[in-house]
Amino acid sequence: MLPIVEGVVLIAALILPLVLQDYLTVFATRVIILALFALSFDLVWGYAGIMSFGQALFFGSAGYAVALMARDLNITSIFLVLPAGTLIGLATSLLLGGFLLLGRHPSSVIFVALGTLTGSYAADRLARGWYYLGGQNGIPSIPSMSLGSYDITEGPVYYYFALGILAVVYLLCRFLVRSQFGLALAGLRENEQRIAFFGYKTQHLKAIVFAVGGTIAGLAGSLYAFHEGFVWPNMVGVVISTQVVLYVLFGGSGTLIGAVIGAVIIEGVSFWLSDNYREIWPILLGVLLLLVILFRPLGLISFVLGERERVGSFGATRKEKRNAAP
Amino acid sequence: MASAFVAAFEILSFGAIIVLVVLGLGIIASMMGIFNFAQGEFVLLGAYVTYLAYSNGIPIWAGMAAAPFIVGGLGFVLEALIIRRLYAAPIVAMLGTYALGLIIRESVRGLIGGFYLTVPEPIGGSIDIGTMHISAWRFTIILITLLVMGGCYVLLSRTSFGLRVRATLENPALARASGISTPLIYGATFAFGAALAGLAGALIVPVFSLFADLGIRFLIQGFVAVMVGGVGSFIGPVVGAGLIGTLSAALPWIMAPVVADVLVFVLAIVFIKFRPQGLIAGKGV
Repeated sequence: MLPIVEGVVLIAALILPLVLQDYLTVFATRVIILALFALSFDLVWGYAGIMSFGQALFFGSAGYAVALMARDLNITSIFLVLPAGTLIGLATSLLLGGFLLLGRHPSSVIFVALGTLTGSYAADRLARGWYYLGGQNGIPSIPSMSLGSYDITEGPVYYYFALGILAVVYLLCRFLVRSQFGLALAGLRENEQRIAFFGYKTQHLKAIVFAVGGTIAGLAGSLYAFHEGFVWPNMVGVVISTQVVLYVLFGGSGTLIGAVIGAVIIEGVSFWLSDNYREIWPILLGVLLLLVILFRPLGLISFVLGERERVGSFGATRKEKRNAAP
Repeated sequence: MASAFVAAFEILSFGAIIVLVVLGLGIIASMMGIFNFAQGEFVLLGAYVTYLAYSNGIPIWAGMAAAPFIVGGLGFVLEALIIRRLYAAPIVAMLGTYALGLIIRESVRGLIGGFYLTVPEPIGGSIDIGTMHISAWRFTIILITLLVMGGCYVLLSRTSFGLRVRATLENPALARASGISTPLIYGATFAFGAALAGLAGALIVPVFSLFADLGIRFLIQGFVAVMVGGVGSFIGPVVGAGLIGTLSAALPWIMAPVVADVLVFVLAIVFIKFRPQGLIAGKGV
């Protein structure tokens, strides 16, 4: 069932700009980038069971970093800004994750959740108060990303570019979670102690996956900054951090495709409702979230995907076993 | 001398406000093991009730007195309907209470719009000591905080209700076997924590005025304070709140406010990392 869902989503994403009006394509690009961001959180929470309430810290730091590169150094070349943003995401998540997750005493789940939340909140306050980063207003009018002499501006080109990156990252993540490493991660989520008894260094595993998540968030953040053309303090703050938690919980954590679908549904419905029902949408979002948590803890995707497909099959397949048998 | 005294008073009164807000959060976290993300919205509701009373011509003090009961009642209902299902997994409880908080906050935002609504102080004016003036209302807040703190301590350590709460915290299975209705105790504890938040909201609304994000402002500070103080006891979160409140009010006097703001959080997280049990370890009162 999983490959079918993935195929449908990919085909829908490929033909979307052909049927949408221009301003909707711009909106769809934003959703694609947010889906990439959601993927990073799903890896950390859905697979390794680390509640990162501060995922926006890596997203926003990368966004601010590339915005500063473009503003102060006039660097907009795609070959420089995207790696730089990704590296910033990696560096900040290594620092924060290393501090929160490693050490002599294993950290409690609550401590990691509150630590990441506090980190994100503190970064928000810092960005708001720091004149160099533009204070409350952030950094406006970032120039477009350039590929040689060609400017990648918002529209179908940016859309397919972002979609390509999303597809590549998705495949990499899919490979990662279906490997031995991914199996260890899923074990970490289900029963950490048992994985430790198998001889895995659970703290190291967690720090690694946290850094991978931060790296993807950094990539998404740099794409987002150039697409929107400005960065503002909310981008590192609690608002975006909790937004990404909502995407993944709605779609279904621990499935990768669930994170993408969650981002698409929430952003889509929010866009659709924002004309007429702007006031009640956040309330409705809260009610829906509560219902999902209480009655569908595995998210909307669990309507079509079984529990077994979430982890995937490992070891010899049935066909191989049949062939091996004499 | 005079300015130092005024500064000390400002720091003390902010510390008292943080303690007041954290009391309920700490009781719920310590006694039930739940980090209640909706606590900030209970504060907001307390403030909103007070504003409603004021705008309908009811005396402000009556609104302030009613707020803890209304918010506490709501807390009791929410516990029975929703929170009760979330005890098994602390992270899921965080997310569930976050969703609850979102619903309450956005509903209030819908009701008041994006405005900052002011509520006058029920006890206005200032207290003059020689040439120094301190706000009478802030002084009252400090007094009430001390009273509430003392009251909570006595309730938890000296009464049979407190004994039951502590027994439920220490060993739920044994408490049930001894004939204590643990679901009722959990409900009552949650309602009590919510009522304290409602009281806090009612008392601080003249100082901070009413706006939809009033509760959020204190939530993260509150969580950090609870962790610094130590989860599991009553006194731990109170001490943590006093420390965090005093620090975040005192540091801006000696350095740039932005740096002070961030520094408090960084210091707190580093402290918790190396002393996970907090300032005051152990369970009980």
